[in-house]
Amino acid sequence: MDRRDFIKLTAITGTSATLASCGNPEHQLIRFVPDDELVPGVAEWKPSVCPLCRAGCGLTVRVMEADADVVRNGQAGVVRIAAAKKLEGAPNHPINQGGLCPRGQAAIQLTYHPDRITQPMKRRGARGAGEFAPVAWDDAINELVSQLDRLAAAGEQSQLLYLTAPRAARRDAVVAAFLKGFGAPAASTIELFGDDVLRRANAISFGREQLPTFDLARSRCVIAFGADFLGTWNSPVAQNAGYGAMRQANPHVRGTFVQVEPRMSQTGANADQWVPVKPGTEGALALGLAHLIIANKLRPADAAGRAGQPIDGWSAGLTDYAPVQVEKTCGVPAKRVERLARELADLKPAVAIVGGAPLAQTNGLFTALAVNALNALLGSVDQPGGVSFMPSDSTADRAAQTRPLDWQKLSAKALLLDGANPVFASPRAWRVREAIENVPFIASFGSFVDDTSAFADLILPDHTFLETWTDSVPESGAGVAVVNVAGPVMRPLHQTRATPDVLIEVAGKLKKPVALPWKTFDEMLKGSIPEQAWSDAEKQGWAEIKDARQRTGGSAKAVPPRASGTRVTTPTFDGDAAQYPFYFLPYASQAFFDGSSAHLPWLQEMPDPLTSAMWSSWVEINAGTAAKMNIAQGDLVDVTSSQGTVRAPAFVSPGIAPDVIAMPVGQGHETFTRYASKRGVNPISIVAPVTEAETGALAWAATRVKIARASKADGSLILFAGEMRERPHEEEIR
Amino acid sequence: MTGVAAAVRSAVLVGCAAAAAGCGRAGDAQTSSAIFTTAHRSVGDAARDFFGMRPKPVQPIPFPHKTHIAKGLTCTDYCHESVTKGPVAGLPSVKTCMICHDAIAADRPLIQQITNMQKNGRDLGWQRVYGYTQQAHVRFNHAPHIRANVECATCHGNIAQQTVAERNVDLSMGFCVNCHKQRNAPNECVTCHF
Repeated sequence: MDRRDFIKLTAITGTSATLASCGNPEHQLIRFVPDDELVPGVAEWKPSVCPLCRAGCGLTVRVMEADADVVRNGQAGVVRIAAAKKLEGAPNHPINQGGLCPRGQAAIQLTYHPDRITQPMKRRGARGAGEFAPVAWDDAINELVSQLDRLAAAGEQSQLLYLTAPRAARRDAVVAAFLKGFGAPAASTIELFGDDVLRRANAISFGREQLPTFDLARSRCVIAFGADFLGTWNSPVAQNAGYGAMRQANPHVRGTFVQVEPRMSQTGANADQWVPVKPGTEGALALGLAHLIIANKLRPADAAGRAGQPIDGWSAGLTDYAPVQVEKTCGVPAKRVERLARELADLKPAVAIVGGAPLAQTNGLFTALAVNALNALLGSVDQPGGVSFMPSDSTADRAAQTRPLDWQKLSAKALLLDGANPVFASPRAWRVREAIENVPFIASFGSFVDDTSAFADLILPDHTFLETWTDSVPESGAGVAVVNVAGPVMRPLHQTRATPDVLIEVAGKLKKPVALPWKTFDEMLKGSIPEQAWSDAEKQGWAEIKDARQRTGGSAKAVPPRASGTRVTTPTFDGDAAQYPFYFLPYASQAFFDGSSAHLPWLQEMPDPLTSAMWSSWVEINAGTAAKMNIAQGDLVDVTSSQGTVRAPAFVSPGIAPDVIAMPVGQGHETFTRYASKRGVNPISIVAPVTEAETGALAWAATRVKIARASKADGSLILFAGEMRERPHEEEIR
Repeated sequence: MTGVAAAVRSAVLVGCAAAAAGCGRAGDAQTSSAIFTTAHRSVGDAARDFFGMRPKPVQPIPFPHKTHIAKGLTCTDYCHESVTKGPVAGLPSVKTCMICHDAIAADRPLIQQITNMQKNGRDLGWQRVYGYTQQAHVRFNHAPHIRANVECATCHGNIAQQTVAERNVDLSMGFCVNCHKQRNAPNECVTCHF
């Protein structure tokens, strides 16, 4: 049934009316945000900052009078307040330029969520049972202070572990100063879909340890290796704007776009050519293209300069990467490689993009370096229509680190959780849950009880982004250095407190107080931003930092290019190919990204752009493979790796290679509000604990699996439209 | 084609009646936005909705648009101020009216009516004039249109000559698509439909 039929059918039979009475959330549109249509009143639009990813999009928030459920002095009731009703992209923001992605639009549900923690709580039941009793703020803070004092009295300050959600913000500096003053190690970040491999590669190739910014609007040819840059990767709103301009702004020239990936993403579905490639061989394809460009004398090898140096055989013309060899390695026909190389060289300016799964392989750094070298060869670095690096806000520190933790050896005596959910976002083999259960004291600042904070002994809930000072330091997506900072747009609904302010208070109350130079978080923000920028930000929620410099590799000094290339050029996978015949590809979901927004019902009910699935997990299987294994759409399938099994309904797709099994990440939370708890399965749980060879980052795409049909469809695959069909297409190779 | 269309239409009428009769909650469908449903309160409602016949909106007061425009107010000054920023244009509340009418024309019966409303803590229950049916699956966003310098009158007619706003422009799909084509605006399905 396609979408049109579905709409007709619901009109004809009133199916949806019948469904509505069943009471399952998937049959409803769940709002719980104050109405903003047909409501009389004057709206005020206030600036804010989107909290849901690191892109750092600016917001403008529609604030109007509304009745809201609030908690005041321990009493719940309905009060008329100036309430946020709608989020939009901030007009003229250098990154999102007035746009906002679906996740950003849904962020408003964080504030009004019925399962938000409304006041401080102490564990009542057994650990992990998620039973808490309310306590007063003074008691909660005293409890945290006494726990930290106990740690200090035993001389175990270094046993304090602070885990934070991935964010890049000045807020981190408060955390860093607190930890340093206390004598604890720097905060750790848990970032499943982190980009540290690419940052490292960029430091080696270009001397800039930073995510790249693309001038897609002026590109004539884009080749993307695995990067879902229109959906989830890097700065998607900025990239969508640029992409739109590339394809449609000029009525005479429509840029060409090629996507290289084994499973068609939302980005791949937009491409002129979708090139399925063997997982982990994207770097070899990039070098195959470079080889042809050099060999055909379209560009000289030394045009790549420094970026060519880390690649073995670059100056000799990459003779190991002839089209025939590339066909063997990557599974891309030699003729097609030749045609792609021609297009890249002919259509100027051309740019290559790499991100996502190709860098989550054991040879991720090699792949990133290969694509960087291709970009340099094409002359697209720091050029119009190419790749560049956003000047970074030199007034901000990158305080939090993405430090891979050795969970088995975790010896922390106290754990502070600041929005991180490592129990969900880690392979089962890391045994994170067991490690956390062994920590004697856990306090959480998060707004929701999730898989990890369910183990907390004490919860000191933070405000949501609309109720507090909020800031971010974007890393990419614009040509100028940007700082986002905005004050609260509404009064807090509940008895929550801003976490940075709580840390400042705790610091002062310790037996051996930690001297922090600020009394409040906003004082710290104001002090760290140049005066002119501050007054701009007060008006619009962001400002340009004028004296910005290019960020260099980690320190002020540029990283020297390595004389020899990376050692690991070919990917290795966990699991024997005979026993586990399929590559396993978990991917960032458009709605939930890494799972951190699965509790927002607007995102649960948003049909996935490709499969139209909602409220569910699914397993994408190639149509031919499914037919061979007698698996039909919706049948339950067991996906088994060396680490375990997950069971989910099959989605039969023409847009995936026959030897690849893909699953969206985001569902499968044990505990995460009424909307996400025990819904679907978590594919990360069966990912093998394999790491990228040179950076130690989790290689989440380097696991092999086998599949087996478990039973017939049970209705757990909820599709808005219908199946995906392959349409007859022109001959693949011209 | 006509035959098919007629068959579908009659099926819709029958289907809606069945749904309305068979499910106690279907009757509330139009008033509850929490539940996704295309069912209607009665067969008559379904038929009228299907043929695009909507009752003329009854506004809480006969607001004279032309008087206000003649005084030099623009649409976006106070009453529809959100039109440049987001999907919803915004509607004035009694407070909005009283910004000016606290002093101006305070002795007129209509203004006194509004003043009383404010005293009694009541507000203006405006009814929708334009808008799309649920089945159209259209989510309209004002802001990009205003940013692209589309005049309010393009879609809403000449309000300067109207008392209460009347629906006198047929916002059919053809109307939208033609304008998008002329202005080289995106015409993909998902631009307007969800």
